[in-house]
Amino acid sequence: MTEWTDRQAVRRGEWRLETDADSVQRDLSRLVLTLVELIRQLVERQCVRRMDRGELTGEQLEAVGLTLMRLEEAMAELCERFGLSPSDLNLDLGPLGTLLPAD
Amino acid sequence: MAADQGVYLYAVTRDEGEEPDGLEGVVGAPVGRLAHRGLAAVLSPVSLREFGEEALRRSMEDLAWLEETARAHHRVVEAVARLRPAAPVRLVTVYTGEAQVRELLDERHDAFDAVLRRLSGRWEWGVKAYAVPAAAEQHPASAEQHPTERPTERPTERPTERPAEDPAERPAEGSAGRPVERSGRAAAGAGAGSGGGAPGAAYLNRRRAALRGREADWRRAAEHAQAVHEALMGVAVDGRRHRAQDPQLSGRREQMVLNGAYLVDEGRAAEFTRVVEEVAGRGVAVELVGPWAPYSFAALDHDGEAACGDGS
Repeated sequence: MTEWTDRQAVRRGEWRLETDADSVQRDLSRLVLTLVELIRQLVERQCVRRMDRGELTGEQLEAVGLTLMRLEEAMAELCERFGLSPSDLNLDLGPLGTLLPAD
Repeated sequence: MAADQGVYLYAVTRDEGEEPDGLEGVVGAPVGRLAHRGLAAVLSPVSLREFGEEALRRSMEDLAWLEETARAHHRVVEAVARLRPAAPVRLVTVYTGEAQVRELLDERHDAFDAVLRRLSGRWEWGVKAYAVPAAAEQHPASAEQHPTERPTERPTERPTERPAEDPAERPAEGSAGRPVERSGRAAAGAGAGSGGGAPGAAYLNRRRAALRGREADWRRAAEHAQAVHEALMGVAVDGRRHRAQDPQLSGRREQMVLNGAYLVDEGRAAEFTRVVEEVAGRGVAVELVGPWAPYSFAALDHDGEAACGDGS
């Protein structure tokens, strides 16, 4: 019934997945980094919560803080290498809002 | 009528006169009407090759196509609504023929009648409120409106919030008998101060402050948004809170905290805009758009919504 070829549909539908090798790699690394960043932020929040409750000793606090800080730096490096900006790591989850809080 | 010809429906009105001359609908087709039992369906012919179910599934993802169609839809609805009460139907409501539309007008006659009575002499206004970060709010421009508001606002909330803001004041519980609080705080303080002593703790403290600030901003903005909504509901006949749009859609960087639609009596429009102006600036930036045809308030009851098919 429709006269469109798949190719045209891909070009016209901006939300469809591009399937050439470069963009697959980029999209995949973006997805992986997004998940890593989500987990990193969750851990960070959990640490802040435990810090507030006084559940961490001074050394624990320092160790965990350092780790998270280095992770953040590593994330920034990785993003740069893949040409991604922090906002690229934020997925729109529809009614739930965005995956990561807007900074 | 050709076999692949369908009917695109824009709105249902009362059968009280012609549509404006030369009105163009989607794909530039001339807009016509179908009158039945005192109601009139505003429609235009479309090809089912373009507006059939299969084709639409693809086109609906094509933003350019969608924009063009939405503009045409809106143009027709507005033109008709200027003349008489109109119940807009959902974008891309397509029927396979005029007989099907006549059936709709027949079956849902009373519901359409009730909706049109409710919408008569009323327009929809859109109000969007955006969170303004606390720092930006201190700006003299926004402070002028309610100079005394901030310090006295919600005094009851402070006592419960305080302890959370300074966890070091809390007693250390279940932490292996060490005076954790003090050492943690001292280490953090030193780290933040010198930048060398305890970078990890300093980092966590920075993060905590940032998270707190953001949460507080967000909570404050959400409260303001609720207050704005309630104030507007005082003037409006009805109101809906739609899902807040994300920045990509809204085109603004600030987080949207209120995306409301309000049905307002024609005679109270000035009052409504005045309320919007009054509430703007208190922790939220407010955007008012309208008036337009009451899209958000035209839905029939849930069991028999007007958009009962996209053709097939």
